[in-house]
Amino acid sequence: MQQDVYVIIPVYNEAPVIGAVVGAVSRVFSNIVCVNDGSYDDSAAEIVKTGAVLINHPFNLGQGAALKTGIDYALQDADAAYFITFDSDGQHQIADAVGMLEVLKEGAYDIVLGSRFLGRADNISLIRASVLKAAVAFSNLTTGVRLTDAHNGLRVFNRRYARQIDITMPGMAHATEFVHAIATGKFKYTELPVTILYTEYSKKKSQSLFNSINIGFDLLMRRISKK
Amino acid sequence: MIVIQVLLICGIVAVFGWLLLNPRSQQVHAWIKILAAAFTTFGVVVIISPGTSDRIAHSVGVGRGADLLLYSIAVSFVYVMVSVYTRNIDEQEKFEKMARAIALLDTRVRELNDLLTETQEQKKKT
Repeated sequence: MQQDVYVIIPVYNEAPVIGAVVGAVSRVFSNIVCVNDGSYDDSAAEIVKTGAVLINHPFNLGQGAALKTGIDYALQDADAAYFITFDSDGQHQIADAVGMLEVLKEGAYDIVLGSRFLGRADNISLIRASVLKAAVAFSNLTTGVRLTDAHNGLRVFNRRYARQIDITMPGMAHATEFVHAIATGKFKYTELPVTILYTEYSKKKSQSLFNSINIGFDLLMRRISKK
Repeated sequence: MIVIQVLLICGIVAVFGWLLLNPRSQQVHAWIKILAAAFTTFGVVVIISPGTSDRIAHSVGVGRGADLLLYSIAVSFVYVMVSVYTRNIDEQEKFEKMARAIALLDTRVRELNDLLTETQEQKKKT
């Protein structure tokens, strides 16, 4: 087990699958931090059963805030050197995370991002793929960081990057903050192909495409008002 | 281009630019209050003497005083909206930091509690 690796899983109402997801991760990694982001189902109880660290947000703050809480917790351990962000709905493959970690450990990069468009996105709808591509184009244009997939939750990064990343965006707009931090901190980055499994469960859980309008607005307002 | 069009465009651009450059200044919040007072006064003038407001409107190229009021409200609405949104972002960030601190503290307390229970159990055994 790799003691210097922390896997951070933001959780919001994932009781039916979280046990299995954490179970799969725990076969490879021992430090698993689940941030229960104000779930009103049995997610917390399911996490306790797995033996992973459970952090309870007092109320729902959004996935970005949950990731930040998990990263802050992991940073308290001075030996934590590598950080993995992993979705709780079963879309990500642990083998992909392991592959990305290996690349990061070679030392050439500060952050390795997963890309479903370099790899496989099973059962992705045409409209979802189009919106995600538009998000990538927007992200590339505004940050100058060239990526093929800007909204992939599977990321592996080192301690230096973890200390730098500050997530303040509401909802799902935080994905752009990860990219923005790469640009501002001049971090070395690369993308690796990953497989995203769009199961019936994850499709039901995934955000509405209309939310991309909210994300765009939030990004614009923040970008301008933070100057 | 009539005077009011120039004024409105300049107004919107100036309000937006100034607000976005100084979203958190005391001045911004003071201006919101000044604007509210100005609108109340102007509103009263329009009600009491429609002729006066019409004359002001004519002088900048607008047909009626009521229309001028509407245009001014439109510019002010943008101003207030951006200002409130910015303030809301700040509040949200503070709120989030506090919630995170509570969550991390709660986790630490639970971990220490577990450790204590474990130690006590070990003591009992020995």
